[in-house]
Amino acid sequence: MKGRVIEMDLLKQISDFLQQGDDGKVFDLTKQAIEENIAPKDILDLGLIAGMNVIGEQFRKHEIFLPDVLLAARAMYSGMDQLKPLLIKEGIPSAGKVVIGTVKGDLHDIGKNLVGIMLRGAGFEVIDLGKGVFAEQFVETAVKEQAKVIGMSALLTTTTPLMKNVTDLLRENGLNNQIKTIIGGAPVSKEFAQEIGADAYAYDAAKAVECVKQLIDLA
Amino acid sequence: MNKFTRFDIHEIIPKKESVLRNMGVPKGKNVSNKADGLISMAMDIFSDESRPVGIHSEILKNEFESTFEGQGKNAKDTPLQHVIPHSNRLALFALTMGKDVCEKIGVLFNDNNFALGSILDAVASLSADKAVSTYERNFSNELLKRQNNQSDNTVLSYSPGYCGWHISGQKKLFQYLHPEKIGISLNDNYLMNPLKSVTGLLVSGKDKIHIFKANYPFCRSCKDASCQGRMKRIINLRKGNERKSD
Repeated sequence: MKGRVIEMDLLKQISDFLQQGDDGKVFDLTKQAIEENIAPKDILDLGLIAGMNVIGEQFRKHEIFLPDVLLAARAMYSGMDQLKPLLIKEGIPSAGKVVIGTVKGDLHDIGKNLVGIMLRGAGFEVIDLGKGVFAEQFVETAVKEQAKVIGMSALLTTTTPLMKNVTDLLRENGLNNQIKTIIGGAPVSKEFAQEIGADAYAYDAAKAVECVKQLIDLA
Repeated sequence: MNKFTRFDIHEIIPKKESVLRNMGVPKGKNVSNKADGLISMAMDIFSDESRPVGIHSEILKNEFESTFEGQGKNAKDTPLQHVIPHSNRLALFALTMGKDVCEKIGVLFNDNNFALGSILDAVASLSADKAVSTYERNFSNELLKRQNNQSDNTVLSYSPGYCGWHISGQKKLFQYLHPEKIGISLNDNYLMNPLKSVTGLLVSGKDKIHIFKANYPFCRSCKDASCQGRMKRIINLRKGNERKSD
């Protein structure tokens, strides 16, 4: 019982320092938690993700803003980097796999990166294909990695039509029920998502996390 | 004839408040001390890594018609079609913050330094915008000198990708201006590299020519709407001048 209290206290500290964006402290405390044989899944769920959930909620309520969310995300990564090999070793699944990328011809990736950071913060495994990604790459990777969601980003009106190539390819291969799509970027909209047959549109990274959670349940 | 401009970093670097607004922090709200410190750090990095340069060249109205036509993808009706006939001087321009600062943003993200990377991205974008304003002012002053200070013209910029001028218009603009000379290239999707680059047209004319009703079909899907702010500034300035003359 006493051990569990100490354990919970340590995990709360991880969550608190994560919320303060203190990556050094989160790194040290995660290391300590691993050394004290606290279950990796508990460190993840009750320490890191618990902290990110608070951050996400504060962000949603406009109590904190992007720079502080990103500081917290960095702190999350400092703990996650140590935990990842242990989670894999123990066969603990993530909240779901998501393939993301900026479509071919487009080199803007800040928005896509922010979505990736927020998704990882929410416990998803993110496979980031980077910039200039072909439709086939999105679909092949999602199939190979058994990802349930493909997230596409574009910032140019000339590259947004390429998003349709992905949704078409999924439909042609009968994969559109098991692999859902979400799009984002300045020139796209909810209407455009409907027009190209994408399953969701997110106007920012926080909304993207919310949508991906819903899509994972559908897939 | 092409003219080159090397921008003074101190003149184009944004204020901390502008960076906060750009990152979605509302007026009156703030970020943690740690995040606040990163803004200063990002500004220092920008000062070290950016090489803001520009190129511009005057263009005649008839020459611009063909440039504006671009790949034939513009909206049927655009504000520029109504502005140009009443303008008196035009110049095409391109400017960039340089490749080093863009690469630095990528490096910071790769190192999980998301907050600093994201703030630097905002600083670079805002600086590019301010460099455009500097170009507007410089062109206005240049024309004023030529006319012995006898001019009340207003210079505003218009860019491909906005207000019905299709982004493919970049191609002809590049053919005329050759921004490659300052290190900007264009890909097949009309995307510039380095990313923190801007091209456009400087239009000089009476202030009223720049005022239009934002009720074009493309205005409905526009998320930028910066035209409204520019027009408001012109109208306010005009009101101020009228009050002074009263």
